[in-house]
Amino acid sequence: MADVLLEVENLGVSFRADGGRTLRAVDNVAFRLAAGEVLGLVGESGCGKSTVARCVAGLLAPTNGVVRLDGSDLGVQRTAEQRCAVQMVFQDPYSSLNPRMTVRQMLRELLSVHDLVPRAAREDRCRELMSLVGLPVGALDGLPVQFSGGQRQRIAIGRALAVEPRVIVADEPVSSLDVSVQATILRLFEDLRARLGLTMIFISHNLAVVRHLSNRVAVMYLGRIVEQGQRDALFADPRHPYTRALLAAAPRLHQGRRPRPEVTGEPPSPVDIPAGCRFHPRCPLAQDICRREDPVPQQVHGDSADTVCCHFGADPG
Amino acid sequence: MTAALEVSDLVVEIRRHHHRFRAVDHVSLRVDRGGALGIVGESGCGKSITLRAIMGLLPPAGRVLAGTVMVQGEPASADSPRAERARRRQLAMVFQDALSALNPVMTVGDQIAEAPLRVLGLSRRSAHARALELLGVVGIPDPRRRYGAYPHELSGGLRQRVMIAIALSSDPTILLCDEPTTALDVTIQAQILELLSDLRDSNGLTIVFVTHDLGVVGQVCDDLAVMYAGRIVETGPVAEVLAAPRHPYTAGLLASALDVDSHASTLVTIPGSIPDPMRLPPGCAFNPRCPFAQPDCLVSPVPLRAVAAGRASACLHHDRLLQVPHG
Repeated sequence: MADVLLEVENLGVSFRADGGRTLRAVDNVAFRLAAGEVLGLVGESGCGKSTVARCVAGLLAPTNGVVRLDGSDLGVQRTAEQRCAVQMVFQDPYSSLNPRMTVRQMLRELLSVHDLVPRAAREDRCRELMSLVGLPVGALDGLPVQFSGGQRQRIAIGRALAVEPRVIVADEPVSSLDVSVQATILRLFEDLRARLGLTMIFISHNLAVVRHLSNRVAVMYLGRIVEQGQRDALFADPRHPYTRALLAAAPRLHQGRRPRPEVTGEPPSPVDIPAGCRFHPRCPLAQDICRREDPVPQQVHGDSADTVCCHFGADPG
Repeated sequence: MTAALEVSDLVVEIRRHHHRFRAVDHVSLRVDRGGALGIVGESGCGKSITLRAIMGLLPPAGRVLAGTVMVQGEPASADSPRAERARRRQLAMVFQDALSALNPVMTVGDQIAEAPLRVLGLSRRSAHARALELLGVVGIPDPRRRYGAYPHELSGGLRQRVMIAIALSSDPTILLCDEPTTALDVTIQAQILELLSDLRDSNGLTIVFVTHDLGVVGQVCDDLAVMYAGRIVETGPVAEVLAAPRHPYTAGLLASALDVDSHASTLVTIPGSIPDPMRLPPGCAFNPRCPFAQPDCLVSPVPLRAVAAGRASACLHHDRLLQVPHG
């Protein structure tokens, strides 16, 4: 992959759980992202996708591993410039905006703290940001409470863009929105990507949304990326049984009752990660080797960056 | 055949800061015995309020202004409270958020045993046995161990199963489900939808399923009602409505839904946003966002009218939709 902009290597995050046990929220996560690419990170509740996002954005110190931007380490103690370089958009636009600040106050504060724009040009920059996220200039005078969910998410995106980030990490940014509003926000992301060449990590539990927006997709299960690859290759030829289960369970418009799900039960607790392959207790393909050996990422689809962590997922031959 | 549930011309008014508005306006529904109806719409369209009005669980700010609810052919609101309770006992509700709907300081088993004990008048021992049986029916592994668990000790999927068990514990004939899988992960959602379909097949339960997700209705329901701004705008068999919608709002919702099996090059959106229920536009409430709006759409609200066998639409110009292809 040419021009790697963001690189995550061997990322691990552990928390101390009740009874002195260790909860491994993220375990050995690695991926690379070229400038202008969008990585869709999918997985179910508790798989560690938000923890990865917080590490990349510098909101959480990883237990081990590194996050690199343009070849230089982003430590935990980031410089102001490094903090601006990676910005986050959160799921809930109701709790991620300061309820007592108007949009203008919010944006102006950012612009002055980071000294990005001369004082005289700040108002123009605020207006420019509003038009970038598709809001009228009048919205600058509003308080968050005066906006709908979709509009608030636009404000949150505008706030992230204000500091001219190189990478945006969006954690379930459309999950709390209605279907028709969701579509308008996704369109905004597409538009921003085309106009600003944004590099993005887009986290979602919704495969259809991820398919629409991403170039690359990584599927997480119990703290680990079990499969990652180019979008089209991964959707056309998913190699991990968990990826296949997610695809099979995705809601579809033109399908009535569907065959009984192959994957049953629920993910085990991250305090108690199963030995061997972590998916084996729910896996329809599980064999003896899966209970003994933890699979290492193997290259698939003839692409060096596409990998799967499954004993039975490799390219044939 | 008598309908299991029949709602006619239901009007529900909500009071909010000295203002009143109609959250549900002339809604009529019919579900046959053993049938399953999906009600789909976005936030604030009145789908949950409709369900709560049927159940008799409207919030204090809500009031039924008009309309009747018939359960198994008899009016739900009877003269005596006793008769009304008996009627309503046929109905049970499954809520979206199991964690807040369950009692946090009571074991899940005791919560399931409560209705058999207090409503059906079973002995303590048989109520306990019934609760264990129900834990098994809803697919909770190891019922004996789970009986004594508290809600916070269970995962979201198991809590939702417990709530379904509680709903079933009073032996209802009709199950009202309010977004029962919205807070769940997709693989767990698939399991719960499967469970609801199984209950329908094995117990002959009648199901009303409210959701915002057009992709899940087909898995449980035969029929679909689409709501917008307090009114039903389209009804018909799920597959037919999704294949060829006859109301522009349904068509817009379908066009903006993403498909996991293909990659759409462009994303279609419905222009504008949902109207404020206190200031609904004149005539058809969808007209400001509608690509087919004509002057006659602004005259008066458009009632639901039959457009084909088993299909109804509240659009004056529904024929226009036959001329455009749908994906």
